[in-house]
Amino acid sequence: MDDRRVDTAQRPFSRLFPYEWRMMTPLLAVMVIILAYPIAYSAWLSFRNVDLTKPGRDAFVGFDQYVTVLKQPLYWTALTNTFIFVAVAVTLELVLGLALAVSLKKQKRFRNLTRAILLTPMFVTPIAVGLMFRFLLNNQLGLVPVILQKLGISIDFFSADLALLSLALIDVWQWTPFMMLMLLAGLENLPEEPHEAAHVDGANAWQTLIRVTVPMMKPIILVAVLIRALDALKVFEYVYAITRGGPGAATETLQFFIYKIGFGYYRLSEAAAVSWTVVILVMAVLVLSLWRTTRGRSA
Amino acid sequence: MRAYRAKNKFWTWVRVAFLWAAVLAVLFPYTWVVLSSFKSPADLTNPTKLVFAPVLDNWARVFAGGIVNNFGLSLLVGLATVLITLLAGTPAAYAISHYAVGGRLARFGILLAELIPPSVLVVPLFLVSYDLRVNGMVIPVIVAHLTFVLPVVTWFLISFFDDIPRDLEQAALIDGCTRFQAFLKVVLPQVLPGLGAAAIFGFVLSWNDMFYALILGGETAKTLPVAIAGYNTFRGVQLGDMSVAILVSVLPTLLLSFFIQRRMIRGIGGGGVKG
Repeated sequence: MDDRRVDTAQRPFSRLFPYEWRMMTPLLAVMVIILAYPIAYSAWLSFRNVDLTKPGRDAFVGFDQYVTVLKQPLYWTALTNTFIFVAVAVTLELVLGLALAVSLKKQKRFRNLTRAILLTPMFVTPIAVGLMFRFLLNNQLGLVPVILQKLGISIDFFSADLALLSLALIDVWQWTPFMMLMLLAGLENLPEEPHEAAHVDGANAWQTLIRVTVPMMKPIILVAVLIRALDALKVFEYVYAITRGGPGAATETLQFFIYKIGFGYYRLSEAAAVSWTVVILVMAVLVLSLWRTTRGRSA
Repeated sequence: MRAYRAKNKFWTWVRVAFLWAAVLAVLFPYTWVVLSSFKSPADLTNPTKLVFAPVLDNWARVFAGGIVNNFGLSLLVGLATVLITLLAGTPAAYAISHYAVGGRLARFGILLAELIPPSVLVVPLFLVSYDLRVNGMVIPVIVAHLTFVLPVVTWFLISFFDDIPRDLEQAALIDGCTRFQAFLKVVLPQVLPGLGAAAIFGFVLSWNDMFYALILGGETAKTLPVAIAGYNTFRGVQLGDMSVAILVSVLPTLLLSFFIQRRMIRGIGGGGVKG
């Protein structure tokens, strides 16, 4: 009935390079140029000694760059700070996001308007978010400290003790909406019966949430947390806008550390080495978390 | 029963109060920036002053200062990124969805690209653009933006193609179309709303990036986020000007966001659901 298809399928070219792979070609070509090649180049760079301020000294140096990196106390500070930032931000985002998703699901009035407003922060460019909060929380000009002062509370949000926490809270403002969006999608796809059963059995709302809803949403919670954690790991704009790593090294994060080494001092090979330690760490965490969930499923 | 109802009412109040608090927490910074953008320098030093004589000086100064150029540059980068993404991503998403090319590896592997931190890619991109003498131009910025826009948008598109029945192509083939014609004329129009949403989402991602634009665009190809950051260091802080610049960059994405919010849920969760 459709001899045209039979025709093309029997041409040798079509058999060697079928239609569906021809459709893939543009994507694969672009991916090789923009991803595969830079990744390979970056790995190669990390074993060399490219420093734009000292041209002509480029040579193969083995793992020297990695050793240099691991010996720097600032690297370990950046690593710890980034870990704390991610842990604090993502935990708060999960708790608040879940609470918002549950509240929104039961909401009846102003439903679309509330959702539309609550989702906006994730569409704002992070540098603008950083700058807005820099001045909202600023000691002299900021609205928040001034209001707090009238209440008799004096807080310096960007002091050495609090700066990292303040940055994490800014991340919470911007990205809780994403968590909420994912969890709301998960909630709306849940079957009703288990909830009804829990209600009939006399469970209150809190028990239902913790014992029924959350366990059923485990897969989507895991995905949402992973996506957020991987993204929070790249924190750069808030640091760049507000603290530039300070006071001292209190808000030195990995991405900012790499930026400083690579494009402040132009030690490009060293910057590449730092970024590869991050990749290895991320892969390790990812494999571990996926391994644990698959093991949990088979058990 | 009455106790149960009273308790229920209490939780309803908690829920409503919580949502109101969240809405206010979201709107609070926006309000402050809008107010600041109309304040005179004297009023800016008094953050609690809510009633003041609005001035347009900040707006006039920022627009005279060339923010229109930065706006245009961001627009150019975003549109070019999205155009290349759709040209490369749409046929591939279709092949992955309807022909299962590359199996689950292609479907989920495409997201692996998102795992690579920008710091890994930015060093080689910087060096290559330096060697090709395109550093400080928009080209490396567009290439860099493709590295994160292309995988995500393709992932979204896969889920939109998943919703299209397979027989559609068959029917078009019987009517005498070639397979590519069937794709262009029959299948593609069906995913147009999803395609639009994915395109807008990709554009927003490109528009909001600062890391790549800062490093690869340098002083000569400043996109809006880089330009805004400049108001922070250049001659101290110009709070009024900065507020205007923030609004110029934020308003377009906020408007766009209202068009795509509904479809984003399907896009984010979707690619994996039927895999």
